[in-house]
Amino acid sequence: MSRVVLPVEGMSCASCVANVEAALQRLPGVHEVRVNLATEQATVEYDPSAVDVRTLQRAVEEIGYGLRSATAYLHITGMSCASCVENVRRALASLPGVLAASVNLSTETARVDYLPGAVTVREMVAAVREVGYGAEEKVEGAAALDREQEARRREIRRQRTNLLVATPLALLVMLGTFQPYGFLSRIVPEFLHNKLVLFLLTTPLVAGPGSQFFVHSFAGLRRGVTDMNLLYATGIGAAYLIAVVNTFWPEAGFGGPQATFYEAAALLTWFILLGRYLEAITRGRASEAIRRLMRLQPRRARVLRDGQEVEVSVDEVEVGDVLVVRPGDQIPVDGVVLEGYSAVDQSMITGESLPVEKKAGDEVIGGTLNRTGSFTFRATRVGRETALAQIIRLVEEAQTSKAPIQKLADFVAGRFIFWVHVLALLTFLFWYFVGYDLWFSPQTRLMLTPYALTGASAVGFAVLVSIAVLVISCPCAVGLATPAAMMAGTGKAAEYGILFRGADAVEALSKVQVVVFDKTGTLTQGLPSVTDVIPVGAADEQVLAWAAAAEKRSEHPLGEAVVRAAQERGLALPDPEEFQALPGRGVVARVDGHTVLLGNRVLMAEQGVALDELGLRAEELEAQGRTAMFVAVDGRAVGIVAVADTLRDTTPLAVRELRAMGVRVAMLTGDNRRTAQAIARQLGMDTVLAEVLPGEKAAEIKRLQDQGYRVAMVGDGINDAPALAQADVGIAMGAGTDVAKETGHVVLVRDDLLDVVAALQIARATMRLVRQNLFWAFAYNTAAIPLAFGILYPFLRQIVSPELAALLMATSSLSVTLNTQRMRGYVPPVRRRHRPAERARAEGAVAPAAAGR
Amino acid sequence: MSAKAVRNPSAVAAAVYLGVSFLAAAAFAVLATLKGETSWPSRVIGAAWVFLLTTIVLMPVVIPWVRNRAEGR
Repeated sequence: MSRVVLPVEGMSCASCVANVEAALQRLPGVHEVRVNLATEQATVEYDPSAVDVRTLQRAVEEIGYGLRSATAYLHITGMSCASCVENVRRALASLPGVLAASVNLSTETARVDYLPGAVTVREMVAAVREVGYGAEEKVEGAAALDREQEARRREIRRQRTNLLVATPLALLVMLGTFQPYGFLSRIVPEFLHNKLVLFLLTTPLVAGPGSQFFVHSFAGLRRGVTDMNLLYATGIGAAYLIAVVNTFWPEAGFGGPQATFYEAAALLTWFILLGRYLEAITRGRASEAIRRLMRLQPRRARVLRDGQEVEVSVDEVEVGDVLVVRPGDQIPVDGVVLEGYSAVDQSMITGESLPVEKKAGDEVIGGTLNRTGSFTFRATRVGRETALAQIIRLVEEAQTSKAPIQKLADFVAGRFIFWVHVLALLTFLFWYFVGYDLWFSPQTRLMLTPYALTGASAVGFAVLVSIAVLVISCPCAVGLATPAAMMAGTGKAAEYGILFRGADAVEALSKVQVVVFDKTGTLTQGLPSVTDVIPVGAADEQVLAWAAAAEKRSEHPLGEAVVRAAQERGLALPDPEEFQALPGRGVVARVDGHTVLLGNRVLMAEQGVALDELGLRAEELEAQGRTAMFVAVDGRAVGIVAVADTLRDTTPLAVRELRAMGVRVAMLTGDNRRTAQAIARQLGMDTVLAEVLPGEKAAEIKRLQDQGYRVAMVGDGINDAPALAQADVGIAMGAGTDVAKETGHVVLVRDDLLDVVAALQIARATMRLVRQNLFWAFAYNTAAIPLAFGILYPFLRQIVSPELAALLMATSSLSVTLNTQRMRGYVPPVRRRHRPAERARAEGAVAPAAAGR
Repeated sequence: MSAKAVRNPSAVAAAVYLGVSFLAAAAFAVLATLKGETSWPSRVIGAAWVFLLTTIVLMPVVIPWVRNRAEGR
């Protein structure tokens, strides 16, 4: 019998408790359920052979409650390939209480979503160690950076040492093997060709640097898991044993006295070690973005305590502390400037190339660099809450997550090893029982070796071919292909203040066909102003005063614009006695005993107000891209107040760039169709979704998706949250310093629409890199397997030597490594083409846009 | 195999994969002899190679299977 404590969310009363208890109690295998409303916990005693924690979870969720989950990050060591990833993931996922587990080879990190109470981090660590890998809980901050850097350095050092030990030995074995051939006979001493000498040179190479493959594969096999190490171990072990047999029993039939195969074992080991070394370097470089961000975390701060400046560790700074910053200092935490003036370089967080002026009242971001002046500021966010800490967490989460394409690659690679061994066995049996008798020729040569396999017996020949199949099939670069590219891509994006919440967001954004922009506050600056007041039977100031009084309690940007215009003209604005906002239509207010309506045609029609010639005037204004609001007093139309919002500098350029990339651009607005179309025409939009009420935005996105489009929605992360969530990719713009609060799959730190273009370009470039890496990782193996199987042997009388197979394998790792490095110098084309100054010139004359509710 | 019967899953799994691998190796030796193989090192090495590859193929299949049976999953 097992016991689990489930943290239940959403219970508010005793009947919730009864519901949860009943739902759990109904399950077969559940013996006792106790639900506590105060602690929001359900304690369940159950028979694990009849029911598991996931079923318990489903039962609770099906009746409308949730289970509060937590996330743990583990640092995993000892993984070398995609099947290691799969082994660790499976070990974690099989624990009761683990909801989801994803493992990233590049970051050596496992992310585990789990139910606290059902499983502990210690149990997760034990489960990973049980399948033969190292695990510990990841720590954060500077200590994490130090530990991670040390671990990576240690791994690179270890592989380098292995390679340094292996290189001279492998070289001597090569020279010794080929000593009788060509010019080597003149420069290489003859004793090196002696089989006993080759035995003495190869044995320490296989037993030393090569031993890791045997140790790892045996540890895995004992627990019933296989990884790439097994392929290496079988290949190296078999080549070495054949060589030993040939040395001590030359007539055993493995190629005769000339063929030793020590060079096969030695070179195979060397190439695999080279691959390991390259992979260690790739892993080290791939997490550079995180390390770069972590390095920004300041360690010391100057705090004012009792009027004295005291230098303390940044961990000791508390919210409310007053800190002093001097020229050249790094700003320790987030805060608000109290006094002083300076220019701060925020490029490392926002990607903004020019320093930003800071004066009293302005926000400063921890980790950014103070350039010129000195100032004091009050800490508003410290520790895990700072913008920098949030960004690091977001980037880390993105890099730990898996894109759908990677899940597929891992799935394939995870099963590859099993099938490779099956293929090797079939290859052996085929060549022993059929192929040898049909095609074997004493003139047979191994590619890359000079001697003929004259004395090879059927067994010797068949074993050699099956070893080549084992080695050549090994897709060791597959494990790195996708995560390394994803890490490079998300890291590059972070440099530009573009934060992807997951690798799936990168993949989804790369496939987007339509980008929908919310108009107000996204395409426009969100600060509308009154452009026209058209009165009918009243003075224009009177019309504006009525409109402004009605809007006085409104929080809508349009209402605020009307109030601002009235105040600028010095009009007296009485407080409305009653006020009601009607979303998507306008407002109704009672001002000085009169009923004042301010809104669109729908509102006027609902209230039975005749517009007469005002309707035509409104159409003229709308055709110019302005929002016309009718004003009616006591059921009679008295005028129009027209408002327009200014487009952002970068809006036309961003729309043009997106269209040039083959993406359809749509605008979503509450404006009436005429106004919306006027703006859309100015901008060259493909689609206009006008007269959309705030609550209907998500439905409009869904409608586009139903037409078969993959849609990205760009908007305000808080107000447009449902639409961002509905879209295939939600892009929250202008998150500033509080990125964690933003919804959306992609968070843009700045308010720059060109970052939407840059995000799309980075996503496409990253996915291009992923596809190229997967090609390089699989291409060699796929193309070479038939060759290794001996498909060309009947015609060429040559078989692939194990060392050639290893060379192809190492080439595959090298291709992935070099290809990924290309991302380091990548600059999104839109950022290369349009520097801020040029942009300002290019977009000098921008027409005003209408402002919509 | 009933769940109760699996008292020591590791031993049971080892018995299964080693037993099947041994049978495969023996089958190879017999077939090799029938084919006309006269060299005993060839028969031994061939059988050992078949034994090794069969074991490697079977271990990751048999061990989790026996373990799951033991845990009643």
